Amino acid sequence: MNEMTAPPRAARLTSHADPASIEAVTRALAARFGNRLVTSQAVREQHGHTLTWTPNEPPDAVVYAQSTQDVADIVKICAEHLVPVIAFGTGTSLEGHVNAPLGGVCIDLSMMKSVLAVHPEDLDCIVEAGVTRKEVNEYLRDTGLFFPIDPGADASIGGMAATRASGTNAVRYGTMKDNVLGLTVVTPDGEILKTATRAKKSSAGYDLTRLFIGSEGTLGIITEITLKLYGIPEAISAATCQFPSVKAACDTVIETIQTGLPIARIELADALTVRAFNNHAKLGLVEAPMLFLEFHGTEASVAEQTQRFGEIAEAHGGGPFQWTTKPEERTRLWQARHDVYWAHQTLRPGVRPLATDVCVPISRLADCVTETARDAEENRILAPIVGHVGDGNFHCGPLVDVDDPDEVERVKNFLERLVRRGLEMGGTCTGEHGIGQAKMKYMLEEHSPAALELMRTIKRSLDPKNIMNPGKVVAV
Amino acid sequence: MVSFSPSSEAEACATIKDACALRRPLAIEGGGTRAGLGRAAQVEATLSTKALSGITLYEPAELVIAATAGTPLAEIEQTLAARNQCLPFEPMDHRALLGTHGEPTIGGVTACNISGPRRIQAGACRDHLIGVRLVNGRGEIVKSGGRVMKNVTGLDLVKLNCGAYGTLGLLTEITYKVLPKPETSGTLAFFGLNDARAIEAMSRALGSPYEVSAAAHLPAGIGSGKARTLLRIENFAHSVDYRLRELQKLLAPFGENLRLIEDEANRLWRDIRDCFFLAQPRERPIWRISTAPTRAASLVGRLAGELDIKHFYDWGGGLIWLSVPEEDDSGARVIRTALAAGGGHAALVRGPHNLRSRIDVFQPLAAPLMKLTAGIKSSFDPDAILNPGRMYAGV
Repeated sequence: MNEMTAPPRAARLTSHADPASIEAVTRALAARFGNRLVTSQAVREQHGHTLTWTPNEPPDAVVYAQSTQDVADIVKICAEHLVPVIAFGTGTSLEGHVNAPLGGVCIDLSMMKSVLAVHPEDLDCIVEAGVTRKEVNEYLRDTGLFFPIDPGADASIGGMAATRASGTNAVRYGTMKDNVLGLTVVTPDGEILKTATRAKKSSAGYDLTRLFIGSEGTLGIITEITLKLYGIPEAISAATCQFPSVKAACDTVIETIQTGLPIARIELADALTVRAFNNHAKLGLVEAPMLFLEFHGTEASVAEQTQRFGEIAEAHGGGPFQWTTKPEERTRLWQARHDVYWAHQTLRPGVRPLATDVCVPISRLADCVTETARDAEENRILAPIVGHVGDGNFHCGPLVDVDDPDEVERVKNFLERLVRRGLEMGGTCTGEHGIGQAKMKYMLEEHSPAALELMRTIKRSLDPKNIMNPGKVVAV
Repeated sequence: MVSFSPSSEAEACATIKDACALRRPLAIEGGGTRAGLGRAAQVEATLSTKALSGITLYEPAELVIAATAGTPLAEIEQTLAARNQCLPFEPMDHRALLGTHGEPTIGGVTACNISGPRRIQAGACRDHLIGVRLVNGRGEIVKSGGRVMKNVTGLDLVKLNCGAYGTLGLLTEITYKVLPKPETSGTLAFFGLNDARAIEAMSRALGSPYEVSAAAHLPAGIGSGKARTLLRIENFAHSVDYRLRELQKLLAPFGENLRLIEDEANRLWRDIRDCFFLAQPRERPIWRISTAPTRAASLVGRLAGELDIKHFYDWGGGLIWLSVPEEDDSGARVIRTALAAGGGHAALVRGPHNLRSRIDVFQPLAAPLMKLTAGIKSSFDPDAILNPGRMYAGV
């Protein structure tokens, strides 16, 4: 019997996909999807695009999916021919998440833009993967509800789930892992599965929802997401407060959180970043370490929180403390914060910032930020810092002239030291941006060998052919 | 029955390695207060975490606590209370309901993902778990997560182990983020609402900006002759007063209401948390049903037509506690058929040994999910040494 079957195809992809297989897949996809399959150089390069210096490794083809069934069909075709599949939302990941080192097909989910259901009484909604965070809130505008997770970019919800994204609201509302109730996922063999029902509590089995959240497309492709929603607060006030030092600002944050003030946003900008905000958004702030804050609640509780915070800040030498409840002023402030990547560019026109992040225990945050700033200065690197200080996570965006090899070398070493510093302080090599390609080398330093091996085993078990975004997160 | 009680992680590794070599499955045990949860496991040896006890890290300024698995929950709660902090997920105590004795441990709370009424606002046990050390089925130490609040470094092995009932690894050390204890709390009670109307009131309250931290409905006959719908608000005294007043205005259409005396309210929330109202009579099996709140009342209505039930709601109607008579499959088929129509899942929380080996204790999984589940189990525990069958046959 065995002699009669065709010679078995390699069971698992270990090197670049075979050109004949890619050719076969492209033909099959063209027949099924017509002009939704694109193979032009420009579009392929755009889909390997990342906001880093990780070199572009474009996929062999891009398919624009319109439904979960489309995704399942594409994955089935690719699985049959052992060709990689890479999911793409808005292309705003930062560590080479969407590159195609082994070639393959990029599934662009940006046409999957339906809000499938909103259940105001149950405080949830179901969206397709291509809907962006701003589009969700735009859609919810008349319901009195909102979705709080807000990474800098207007990222797709599918991408945010796949990378376990967070943002400025994490102190009060958590991150994607806390705000996704269930997922529809296309598995590596092209099956469609739902990880949970709409029930608030999933006691049915292992937490598969959380396994897919943050798996960066290496276990399956997320096509639909059930999100937890919140009532828009009755009152919101936003504030800025300058401090004599980063340490004074961090100490204020620690004390604020410990007193139980249910603060919604608490963000640190170093003096360089404040200058960048002034350049980019004309905020007219004093160029000193500064906290950006937002308080959510009822009229009474916001007033109380604002006052209590003002007292704590003053005790740490902070001030003046300025606050506003005007929506347009709040929006201006937070848009400036979300545009920090572009603001940082103004510090050295013509050069791109290189965004990276680490996360440390909050008690070590001031040390980590201060040492990092000193390191940058000593090595003649312009490296503004901005942080989600409420959870010990901060971003550093060195501005590097990639045509200057000496500078590139200095920045590379600086970033290595930043990660090691974070790890030595009991932290993690990334609190937000993820592993992608660029941070794979730190996985062993951060995890025990057995833990890393376990991740590999899970990857092999769920994706035995190694076709789901291969070459990311863990090498198998 | 052989029993092991390793006093260090290294000893635990050795015990599991031996068990692995002998292909001798182990039942993992903490304080034993939740031993009746899950399927009846068939094993000849137990591994107790009793001797792995003690808080290993507590940084009040960072709002982080870590402890070894056998540490009594009470010790952790007292340590936190001394610094005015708490585990925000309000873990349920199963002793009254299951008729068990002994000390609940933090390992048991984690392995079973145990939460209480505040879950609707603060999140579940799993949401506060930020790091674990565990010994996998091969006797290897696996560390995942840590003491930082955010972490996106690879697959989330931390959350996977919460609610896995010890089938993936022996938890040895567990790290939680904690929160300041609410300064004060206030509870508003509405009287005489039927189930559907009560859920409507709770939904409206939970969708309001007044930050309701718990919402439960006790129908007539549950602890009182009159139906009670309870809404709790917490934090600074001044703000609690204000929010309760606003809530009263918002919910005026739902009729008479009263702010309860704090002691009485605290007792009620504890009884709701521990499902005390259905603890007696002891022989009646207990189900725990999760569904979308908007479907809960009609689901219960349908079940009441087919079974002799007693019930109450927590989590704004998203959680239904149900007591049924012990006959045939104790409602398994009826409940799950009704759920299939509207979505949700049901787990048998209390029932005799023979019932727990006969029916699906946890909601059966669709085939693709079961395949994933089996793949994860074999990744952690390829020889099925740890609590085999506690959740699903073959897992």
